[in-house]
Amino acid sequence: MNGLTVKDLCAGYGAAPVLAEVGFSLEPGHVLGVLGANGSGKTTLLKSLCGILPHTGSCLLYGKELSKLPTRKAAQLCSYIPQRSGITIDLPVLDVVLMGFNARLGLLERPTAAMRQQAVQALEEVGLSGREEVSYLALSEGQRQLCILARTLVSDGSLLLLDEPESALDLRFRHRLMAHVRRWVQQRDGMAILCLHDPLLALNACDRLLLLREGRSLGLLSPKVDDPARMEQLLSGLYGPVSLHEIRDRSGQRQLVMLKEQEDDA
Amino acid sequence: MRRSTSSPIAKTEWLCALGAALLALLAALSLFVGKYPLTLSGLLGGDEMQLRVFWTLRFSRMLAGAAGGFALGAAGFVYQTVFRNPLASPDIIGVASGASAGAAAGILFFSGAAAITVSAFAGALAAVVLSLALAGLDRSGRGGTIVLAGIAVHSLAQTVLMCLKLTADPERELASIEYWIMGSLNGISLHTAVGNLLLCGACLLVLFLLHRQLLLLSAEEGEARMLGVAVGRLRLVVLLLATLAVSCIVSLTGLISFVGLLAPHAARLLTRNNRSGTMVLSGLLGGVLLLAADLLARSVAATELPVSIFTSLLGAPFLVLLIVRGRKTV
Repeated sequence: MNGLTVKDLCAGYGAAPVLAEVGFSLEPGHVLGVLGANGSGKTTLLKSLCGILPHTGSCLLYGKELSKLPTRKAAQLCSYIPQRSGITIDLPVLDVVLMGFNARLGLLERPTAAMRQQAVQALEEVGLSGREEVSYLALSEGQRQLCILARTLVSDGSLLLLDEPESALDLRFRHRLMAHVRRWVQQRDGMAILCLHDPLLALNACDRLLLLREGRSLGLLSPKVDDPARMEQLLSGLYGPVSLHEIRDRSGQRQLVMLKEQEDDA
Repeated sequence: MRRSTSSPIAKTEWLCALGAALLALLAALSLFVGKYPLTLSGLLGGDEMQLRVFWTLRFSRMLAGAAGGFALGAAGFVYQTVFRNPLASPDIIGVASGASAGAAAGILFFSGAAAITVSAFAGALAAVVLSLALAGLDRSGRGGTIVLAGIAVHSLAQTVLMCLKLTADPERELASIEYWIMGSLNGISLHTAVGNLLLCGACLLVLFLLHRQLLLLSAEEGEARMLGVAVGRLRLVVLLLATLAVSCIVSLTGLISFVGLLAPHAARLLTRNNRSGTMVLSGLLGGVLLLAADLLARSVAATELPVSIFTSLLGAPFLVLLIVRGRKTV
């Protein structure tokens, strides 16, 4: 059974369409990576999925149209990380993480001690322990992404949408990020959709890959099972000529490596 | 250096206690400073003249100063957070100019302090309802629309004010309009003030209860929405409450510059967070600033001076000092 079914999703700013007839489905327990060049519609896709942007077509999460749900209900089911958080005032890191509980709290309720404990733990998991009282604005760009990741991981919903959560992280934290997302997904049989810039990370850490070019879907890949030749062909549609190689790391795990080949016209 | 190692919550509480103590001290001073000398023994001994001065003049003036400053400071905190703009103030949605136009109409067409207060309040409210209604025409719910609508309403109110000034008798009416616009705590009586102060207090109470939601509005719009905040509705409610609180004060005192802008900045620079303690501190600093300015306004010269002169005069160097000090420690 599909947890998320997206059909004929179209969206745009003003007259120009940014996203045209995108459709895919995702099973519970799976992580979907979205790859595409700058301006290919990745962010627009995420914003349309959770209903922040007006769109046509449908996005059903367990049969419910996300954009038609009341704000609180939608926020309980689905959690979204923008490319960079808009927080522009001094707020302690712990308070930023506690924002993640808002959808579960009444208008005048305060976070409980258990929620605080959970927030502290989430900060520890992403590697920010001891910084609970530091101002969010005093963090580096990468640390801010980790802090917002912690805010998302305390969410209790069934869908995570992350917009380039790895852009300011170095190699080690990128892999940790993917491990956190995967653990979250497995713990509750949830789903995650990530827009990613790093194709290697996407190929090796996602169950499904959606390739976007100029707002249209080039196809859906399953990097763990698909034939490398087919994947190479589709990825070349996105990045220009590339070659895909299967190698094994020291522990014997299969990893995919993508190399950029000479452009034909060069 | 040592202070930065202590817990920030304890530090905020300590600052709030200090602010409250300072406010209490200034309030006490405000009760006893003035043309007619009051003594503690005279008041306790039941001196009739002293008691009358105390209750009809000093007490209401002190209350309006402390509560008014508190409200302007706390509301300034709300505006700056909701608009995500450090320069935001009640004037951004036309409150001050609406109140001025209302007060001018009150001075021209009615008589008596109470009528002017009611008229200024109506003017402020009309300006706010008009800006929010104009902003509501834009269905996309962007925050910037409210600012643009506010600017339009502000200009409109200024035009009305100018027309009223043109028709005013320059000797008496024009002078009182100008004097009202400069702001003063003079001549506020307890029975005109009490309704305004109660309404203002109720608005502030709700704003303090909504503090956690208020901070969520400081995030980007889509982000806040996906955190479960009904952004458009909450912003409308919060702005309406903050504006109502400010209108209650401004219609009593006339325009008071700088308190709503300075107090929140000072509070934030001192605590470096935006927790509810900082909002309280912002109110306390507002009260301190307004009471101190009022003390100077009535004791520096032989005649009573407009209070805004001193709020700016005291406030501006303090803000510069905090900014310079802040640079060094960061």
